[in-house]
Amino acid sequence: MLKTTISPIILSFAGKPKASRFIFQAFNKVVLQDTTPSARRNASTNLTTLHQGPPTSAYVHLPFCRKRCHYCDFPILALGTSSSSSNVYEEGKEDDPRITNYVDLLVREIKATRTDFDANPNLETVFFGGGTPSLVPPKLVSLVLETLTLNFGLTPDAEISMEMDPGTFDGQKLKELMDLGVNRVSLGVQAFQDELLKACGRAHGVSQVYEAIEFVKECGVENWSMDLISSLPHQTLDMWEESLRLAIQSKPNHVSVYDLQVEQGTKFGNLYTPGQSPLPSETQSAEFYKTASSMLRGAGYEHYEVSSYSKGDFKCKHNLIYWKNKPFYAFGLGSASYVGGLRFSRPRRLKEYTNYVADLENGAANWCGTGVVDLKDVATDIVMLSFRTSKGLDLKEFGEAFGSEVVKSICKVYEPYVESGHIVCLDDMRREVMSDEVNTLVASDEAKIENHVRYLRLKDPDGFLLSNELISLAFGVVAP
Amino acid sequence: MGSMYRASKTLKSSRRAFSVLSNSLKSNRRDPLCIGLYQAYGFSSDSRHSSKEPTIDLTQFPSEKIRNFSIIAHIDHGKSTLADRLMELTGTIKKGHGQPQYLDKLQVERERGITVKAQTATMFYENKVKDQEASGFLLNLIDTPGHVDFSYEVSRSLSACQGALLVVDAAQGVQAQTVANFYLAFESNLTIVPVINKIDQPTADPERVKAQLKSMFDLDTDDVLLVSAKTGLGLEHVLPAVIERIPPPPGISDSPLRMLLFDSFFNEYKGVICYVSVVDGMLTKGDKVSFAASGQSYEVLDVGIMHPELTSTGMLLTGQVGYIVTGMRTTKEARIGDTIYRTKTTVEPLPGFKPVRHMVFSGVYPADGSDFEALSHAIEKLTCNDASVSVAKETSTALGMGFRCGFLGLLHMDVFHQRLEQEYGTQVISTIPTVPYTFEYSDGTKLQVQNPAALPSTPKYRVTASWEPTVIATIILPSEYVGAVINLCSDRRGQQLEYTFIDAQRVFLKYQLPLREIVVDFYDELKSITSGYASFDYEDAEYQASDLVKVDILLNGQAVDALATIVHKQKAYRVGKELVEKLKNYIDRQMFEVMIQAAIGSKIIARDTISAMRKNVLAKCYGGDITRKKKLLEKQKEGKKRMKRVGSVDIPHEAFQQILKVS
Repeated sequence: MLKTTISPIILSFAGKPKASRFIFQAFNKVVLQDTTPSARRNASTNLTTLHQGPPTSAYVHLPFCRKRCHYCDFPILALGTSSSSSNVYEEGKEDDPRITNYVDLLVREIKATRTDFDANPNLETVFFGGGTPSLVPPKLVSLVLETLTLNFGLTPDAEISMEMDPGTFDGQKLKELMDLGVNRVSLGVQAFQDELLKACGRAHGVSQVYEAIEFVKECGVENWSMDLISSLPHQTLDMWEESLRLAIQSKPNHVSVYDLQVEQGTKFGNLYTPGQSPLPSETQSAEFYKTASSMLRGAGYEHYEVSSYSKGDFKCKHNLIYWKNKPFYAFGLGSASYVGGLRFSRPRRLKEYTNYVADLENGAANWCGTGVVDLKDVATDIVMLSFRTSKGLDLKEFGEAFGSEVVKSICKVYEPYVESGHIVCLDDMRREVMSDEVNTLVASDEAKIENHVRYLRLKDPDGFLLSNELISLAFGVVAP
Repeated sequence: MGSMYRASKTLKSSRRAFSVLSNSLKSNRRDPLCIGLYQAYGFSSDSRHSSKEPTIDLTQFPSEKIRNFSIIAHIDHGKSTLADRLMELTGTIKKGHGQPQYLDKLQVERERGITVKAQTATMFYENKVKDQEASGFLLNLIDTPGHVDFSYEVSRSLSACQGALLVVDAAQGVQAQTVANFYLAFESNLTIVPVINKIDQPTADPERVKAQLKSMFDLDTDDVLLVSAKTGLGLEHVLPAVIERIPPPPGISDSPLRMLLFDSFFNEYKGVICYVSVVDGMLTKGDKVSFAASGQSYEVLDVGIMHPELTSTGMLLTGQVGYIVTGMRTTKEARIGDTIYRTKTTVEPLPGFKPVRHMVFSGVYPADGSDFEALSHAIEKLTCNDASVSVAKETSTALGMGFRCGFLGLLHMDVFHQRLEQEYGTQVISTIPTVPYTFEYSDGTKLQVQNPAALPSTPKYRVTASWEPTVIATIILPSEYVGAVINLCSDRRGQQLEYTFIDAQRVFLKYQLPLREIVVDFYDELKSITSGYASFDYEDAEYQASDLVKVDILLNGQAVDALATIVHKQKAYRVGKELVEKLKNYIDRQMFEVMIQAAIGSKIIARDTISAMRKNVLAKCYGGDITRKKKLLEKQKEGKKRMKRVGSVDIPHEAFQQILKVS
């Protein structure tokens, strides 16, 4: 499909990050034809150039946890549980050198990130992820935010999210964080059953969950999300329905539902095999996903992304940056940034990360990665990320960027799945285009199917459930 | 399958003079073209023959001083070792310098211990008969590919001989290939010199073997030579027996030139090298010759003998065996069995030329659809050196563009597939092997079917008759396994033709079997039920009327052309059920339910379903780090590439390979 000719074109563009010149590999004639000079100059609206501008989002990794959960393979630093401590909320004390040293490093990393974009827009979203960011003393969070503001600027109405775990904060701490500007809380509840929380090595019980919800409410956090995990070991459909019911009763305006991913090297990875007891079978697991979709949508949530549900306007703005393939900064251990079309992951080990920050300061390391931006990668990123959302893939934009032939190929490979109902086709007005009409379009000489089918999206829940299969099919035609 | 079909090892040879060269070429040895390369270089760099002047004077060897013979034996009865010893004895090769299976140049030959291409060597021998002066003889040892697939080539090679050493293992006795080879030689009117080999073994029982030779072939027990090629025991009697008992070639030296073309191979530098036996007259370098069957004419650019390398002599005389180089471009022009004569003369062609008969057909497709060009190129190169494969382009809805290849037999097919993969690195999918069938319809038309897909599933006219090829199989086995083997043969629709005791322990069975029934796993099955003690061989027999049906495999109602097969009606249900089961195991769950059916026409004879995949989703792209998830999706994409898509069902390559194993 796309492999007729590969001719590199060199684009230099305004607002490029320091010391980088990107070579774009156009991957077929169609691209070359469509990318006329005028189209290229008009780059701001094109998907292929979207990532070239300066980021307005930042991810900040705060890796501290009391202990590692059994399913977790993220870069974290376990502080150890202090069951002897009379006040659990005092864990992560201001003077814990492990935390202060890390935040010091983080601040140095942010400062060493010197961009040379022509325009330097303020940050519009900041996301504190972890780890358990709520373990970090507010004073240190404040230091990070100040540094970000100094270095990049921060809009007054920026969305500042923080992941918080029950049992790691109280009302006072939350209030302090809110005073610093944190205005969105992502509460890691995961389950409403003590036995399940214990089985997955969570450092809190159900009572702390209720307490935490209480703190969030009494502090008046309007924008908050609850995380739940499905397909945990020993989890039954009854338990899952109970968790969903109790989640809905707590009235968060955002819910994230994650299907347990058994990762190699984790405790679960060593103990369990996906689909085998005590983990639910593939069929049960699919049932959990469907139940979440129907219960949450029934309660008025919009299923706007594979694992995200929101009420009203409360989609996570920061995550939307990801799904739209827009650029973002990232700071901290193991964090991944996307700037200038390059994805770059920082070292996952503290020692190497420390060296990296030092290198950054003395100019020996690059803060956004190096390499060549391959248009095929951009195209597959867009396909993969767009299909995660309920909006789906905008074929018009995609066709403008990568050529109408690719659009036609995608439609062709999806024909059977439109018919089976895994893929939904929508027109400009987001009205459904029926499968026989799509078949006719694919079979016809129609050059631009995107004039008739504007969006493709995965059906909720059947299409979402098989998103890997469906997306990899599209990969097969976009980047064979 | 295949490695133990009647097969023979080729002559071994040492080539001290060229060892440096061959070392430097070792990395290229997988390339069959290097055969030619060795020989081309070997020829010109050999100091003995470096001058253009031929140093061997063939005129010293009139017909009566020539003996042409071959060695025939069951596999592992010691044919190669004996050939090595005879070449050492005559100084043709130096003792101790032989590399095991050196002349089995193709990787597949070395792995399987078989000969696909025959090798031939000329030896000079001083024969001393008591009280007489020693007299020089020219002996041509003409090797044959042992397997029955190549029986036509075997008989061509044998027709260049007047005699054969029939080698039998002193412990194992007469085996199926011994019988088959004996009759091939016998039918060619060759003088048989029986040799019982390996008499040094503790389990050797030459008397018993002598008795077998007497009862099976009516060979005089006094004529049997007892040797051990390994220790050299009795070896000194072999060549005198060859000279005494085998008659000299009968040709007429003052007749116009007639030569038999009995083998050919391709050399990158010289083009095609033809192995010839001069029946009448003589040939000199520069002569213009014509080929009777192909109608082509060429100038003889080089002529010589295999000693054992190509050694230029400038001429070949009546009764002699050697090679000619004519600048011929492809072995397709060199038809085995063809008669070569001097251009502008008129001769009676030598008897026995037959066009190649293809008995087994299989579709060959690139595993990755985009590799068609690579496959096409590889097949072209391979057939350049093996003209006996027929190749025709075909298209399958399931597998895309590919080729329908016709083979002489199963081993031939196997070897071809293996060479494609090993020597050309081409990953191929081959379809279920099929034999050529004939169908007759009620309107009187007949259809030859080499590809089951080409047989209409719901024909316009009724099929009134159908025929399938058969073989005559020879099985020799210890008597305790007879029951099991008779069951196997009757399960394979065999007709018993003969059942005799060779001696107290061994039984000789002769069956007529449909070729289709032995195409896939007959020999494996036979080996397993007889603990490896049975030997088996077969030869082509006539077509027989048979009640044949086409079994289609449908996935979600859509027939997969590459999986269709033709079977006897009685077996259709069993085969259909087996195919469905196999497919169920090898096709992964898809996004929707897959129904697998086997059908005869519109009648479903077996079915099963693969339930739909329920879930394959990555829940979280944590912190925007999508790289790992993307890698997974890329991997999944690559996995899909290794699938063939029929409708919306992805079939992994392995499924096609496994299906091959269903009889």
